[in-house]
Amino acid sequence: MTHRIFVANRGEIAVRIIEACDRLGYSTVLGVSTADKDTLAARRAGRVVTLGGPRPGDSYLNMNAVVQAAVSTGCTAVHPGYGFLSERPAFAELCAENGLTFVGPSPEALRALGDKLTARRLAESVNVPVSAGGTAQSAEQVRELAERIGYPVLIKAAHGGGGRGMKLVTSAAELGEAWQLASAEAEASFGDGTVFLERFVTDAKHVEVQILGDRHGHRVHLGERECSVQYRYQKVVEEAPCAALPEPTRALLHASALKIAEALDYVGLGTVEFLYDVERDELAFLEVNPRLQVEHPVTEAVTGVDLVREQLLATLGEPLSFSQADISLSGHAVECRITAQDPENGLRPSPGTVTRWRPSAAGGLRLDSHIYEGYRFPPFYDALMGKQIAWAADRAAAIERMEGALAGFDIGGVTTSLPLLRRILAHEDYQANTVTTHWLNGYLDNLMAQEVH
Amino acid sequence: MDVDLEELAAIIEQLDKTEFTDFLYERGDLRIHVRRGGYIPEGPAPASAHSAAGTGTAAAAAAPLPAPAAAPQPAAAPVPAAPLPAAATPNGRNHGMSPDALPAGHTLVTAPMLGTFYGAPKPGEPAFVQVGDAVAADSVLCIVEVMKLMNSVIAGASGEIAAVFVKDGDLVEFEQPLFAIRTAS
Repeated sequence: MTHRIFVANRGEIAVRIIEACDRLGYSTVLGVSTADKDTLAARRAGRVVTLGGPRPGDSYLNMNAVVQAAVSTGCTAVHPGYGFLSERPAFAELCAENGLTFVGPSPEALRALGDKLTARRLAESVNVPVSAGGTAQSAEQVRELAERIGYPVLIKAAHGGGGRGMKLVTSAAELGEAWQLASAEAEASFGDGTVFLERFVTDAKHVEVQILGDRHGHRVHLGERECSVQYRYQKVVEEAPCAALPEPTRALLHASALKIAEALDYVGLGTVEFLYDVERDELAFLEVNPRLQVEHPVTEAVTGVDLVREQLLATLGEPLSFSQADISLSGHAVECRITAQDPENGLRPSPGTVTRWRPSAAGGLRLDSHIYEGYRFPPFYDALMGKQIAWAADRAAAIERMEGALAGFDIGGVTTSLPLLRRILAHEDYQANTVTTHWLNGYLDNLMAQEVH
Repeated sequence: MDVDLEELAAIIEQLDKTEFTDFLYERGDLRIHVRRGGYIPEGPAPASAHSAAGTGTAAAAAAPLPAPAAAPQPAAAPVPAAPLPAAATPNGRNHGMSPDALPAGHTLVTAPMLGTFYGAPKPGEPAFVQVGDAVAADSVLCIVEVMKLMNSVIAGASGEIAAVFVKDGDLVEFEQPLFAIRTAS
């Protein structure tokens, strides 16, 4: 069957999806906002349809416009990319109601993963390690629980979703007031004053496992990535594999991810995220990202698997063409997110016209980007300009290759994060692989002030 | 050439309910060319669907006509050459006007959202407006349907409808030109 894929996204990931469709022989229709009619993806798509105005709510988040456009242009499936509509159960349902295949997991799986506490309960139910924590009702219970977990702890309403109303408590003195607030909020919002406490791990690495499932009950993992270099929960540098993991912990990590995939009868690509407490050598389940990830190329680099291709085939009903035993890892890959953000000014966005765009070209490098010289970088969306990926036989060689790529990368017209990326890569903490998720938050100012040696 | 007579009859029936001036259908070596308004070009023209211009209405929702590939020609043109962009003239009188080069004293009405274009309130009813109709700023010109939600599009300016750029049942994109209104008196 010949498929026509509606690409409901923009930027570099739209280019990536179109490229994968082209190689599969699928035609493509790209939905764009009026601000994105001249993008690289718009030039490469089989057909371009203007969904609405520049604001995401009028275009990329406008579910009705996306589904209407997909149906009217004869598409068989919708690829949501990442962000925008990719994790919305209502959108997956709307696609299904209109005969479109949603390139992602089922609405039920999306719903189960949409709320961190539900996802945590799911993890616990299949014996996947979670961070120390639990629920409590009275002040006395809360104090006992906090003592057992150890400070600092996060406290929040036990029912209801998201990180809303989450409070950080660093000592017993702060606990009473934080508990009262969280409990009152829980009572008001959900009619149940139960609160949830969780250990706040301050010094952990972010590790995540790539999973892939088909509609025939097959599921595999494609190893792990490490994404500890983050700024306010925004990943900046990623790599695969995580070199800091002892082998038994890595085996537990992969097995845990597969247990979760199994519990959800997971279809398509997903990422199971964990925190890895290096000192305790402990893993704690965080959440599942039920979609293609920005950092998927590092996994592709070390496994040789085209993840977008496999994601499309699996969600369209094809059985996986390989099993777990066929997947082997080779070498090490690093990805740097090049963004239009000013590292000298708290990573403030800096849209504008890209007057110069001259990437490095060398062996072992890959660049995923939608930027070209003369492109007007719009102010309405995220600041990602491109992803530089470097692969080499081991971590040190991959870092060296990346440093070369970044040193030769020449961008003009907009302020970018390149100087920051160069300093991170050159930093002894990064090179020694001791970076944890709070490292960049604390070091950003120092990092930009210091000279690179 | 193998023509299924039942299919052909169904096509003719649909055409009879539809406003058009020129209809070209090609599939393999089958080629059906139907044209209203006097000039009959060479080739098979099996339909005699003829209705007085201006009274025809829209049933295209049920059977959308093949879009751009068979874009109609201005009424006087002979055999199909290169299709004119955005010149699907249900009323046959847009004077070859292009939304990209609007004459002075004209204003464009564009789609306020992406959706399916309907020129009439309901299938089988007369169109809201025809070329030549006088409209007020608050006159409803068409409906754009998005996922079963009907959205009325108003003229926004008073004047006379000078051109209609889309056909019933067309997917119209956000800000796609729908009508031209001659505003100058």
